[in-house]
Amino acid sequence: MNIVAIRAVILVAILALWEIAARVGNPLIYVPPSAALPALGELLRLRSYPDLPEHLALTAQEIVVAYGLAVAGGLGVGFALGLHRVLGRAYGPILAALYAVPSVVWYPSLMLFFGLDAASKIAFGFLLGFFPVTLAVLAGIRQVNTHLVTVARSFGASSTTVFTKVMVPGMLFTLMGGLRTGLALAVIGVIVGEILGSKSGMGSLINHAYGLFRTADYVALVIVTLVLIVASDAVASLVERRARRWTA
Amino acid sequence: MSGPPARPVSAVELIRIEGVSKRYETASGAVDAIRDVSLAVRPGEFCTIIGPSGCGKSTLLSMVGGLVSPDTGRVLIETRPVTGPDPKRVATVFQDPGLFPWRTAVENVEFGLEVQGVGGKRRRAVATELLGPLGLRRFAEKYPRELSGGMRQRVAIGRALAVDAQILLMDEPFGALDEQTRVLMGEWLLDIWRRTRRTVIFVTHSLHEALALSSRVVVMTARPGRIKSVIELPQGYPRLMESAELVTLRAKLWSEIRDESLRAMGES
Repeated sequence: MNIVAIRAVILVAILALWEIAARVGNPLIYVPPSAALPALGELLRLRSYPDLPEHLALTAQEIVVAYGLAVAGGLGVGFALGLHRVLGRAYGPILAALYAVPSVVWYPSLMLFFGLDAASKIAFGFLLGFFPVTLAVLAGIRQVNTHLVTVARSFGASSTTVFTKVMVPGMLFTLMGGLRTGLALAVIGVIVGEILGSKSGMGSLINHAYGLFRTADYVALVIVTLVLIVASDAVASLVERRARRWTA
Repeated sequence: MSGPPARPVSAVELIRIEGVSKRYETASGAVDAIRDVSLAVRPGEFCTIIGPSGCGKSTLLSMVGGLVSPDTGRVLIETRPVTGPDPKRVATVFQDPGLFPWRTAVENVEFGLEVQGVGGKRRRAVATELLGPLGLRRFAEKYPRELSGGMRQRVAIGRALAVDAQILLMDEPFGALDEQTRVLMGEWLLDIWRRTRRTVIFVTHSLHEALALSSRVVVMTARPGRIKSVIELPQGYPRLMESAELVTLRAKLWSEIRDESLRAMGES
């Protein structure tokens, strides 16, 4: 049996169990697949939520901006702390301590600072995505084989050349892992931010459907959001595999 | 004397090491790696440095390569003091080949030329031409992990030869290889050296390597490393280890090293 068939088995089994469980219990609360799928059809035909495309686009936009900032900030801070011994010793431990705090505690302040619009979601997505990228850079720098740096220097390589030709390829493996985790967390940040309080975006639609007890629509919206997340992760994993094949 | 004509041994000095010392600060206090070492190396010479573990052989080599600066004294190459790595004149081969795992064999050989800004086509041509005598023609596109230990070290030697520096520093290049591979690599290196006329400073623990390859052997003392004696070897190759001359030289070299190795062992 091939992988696809094995995956299909578990999918069908889960759907069947879900259907049975929902029918035995309260279908309004448990929403069986037989109700969710029609609701998904309505949603995609823009009947239940005609402005779905705008909300989807807004969420995607927030994710792109939040992740872009997280990557820029994470690479910047990571390299600054990793390559500068004093800065690293001064701020490295603080960074690790901050990472241990459940980030959601910051969200109320972010809403106060940035309001209910996109800015607070971007800020939260950035906050979540920033740490894994930074920490991956720090781990990656520690991983670089110092002997290879010595070899490169013996061939007259400048600091810039050592950086581009030895350090970056040497740490790419770890760095890509961090970039991928960062993306996943930036996506989570944006969507959680929207659910916790917003006027537009996929999170706000989810909230709306949930608040009105339109549970079938709610499940349909969650499915659309999931597709968005899975698609972004699939792209990231593709890039990661490319990079790993190159350096491994 | 058998073998090809002897190298013209010029009296001119290519490398001049003048009274260099180096002390390292470690957690358990300062360690004198080498103290007041002076040595002159002639162009085209195969000069081997031998001595017990930790006698500062590698430190001395790193000073010539410009990777370590001496606390006192200085190193001159063609009368110019060494202040840092100078890939136009000096190339180094380390015990750990230090190949870049994300580069194929031929890309590794190209590295030094790439750093010097040599164009892609030109450096590929140079590297490809070197792969033949390195015995790696069929392995050009292989990654280091796909090569044996001996092959990896040959790639590293190729990388050092590619930059066409007059001086080749070799820090126990065959130290991690098995005995048979080691002997064959020595023969191969000798061949390369005689064809390319580099000046080699070669660090080793192996008496056999020292006697089979060198024009001159420098024996260093246990830490702090100083020069204990310098032994000139006969000029012909290949060296017949069973000949009376070599047997005598071997006994002499061993007696010089033995005392120092015992001292080094007693210390650790």
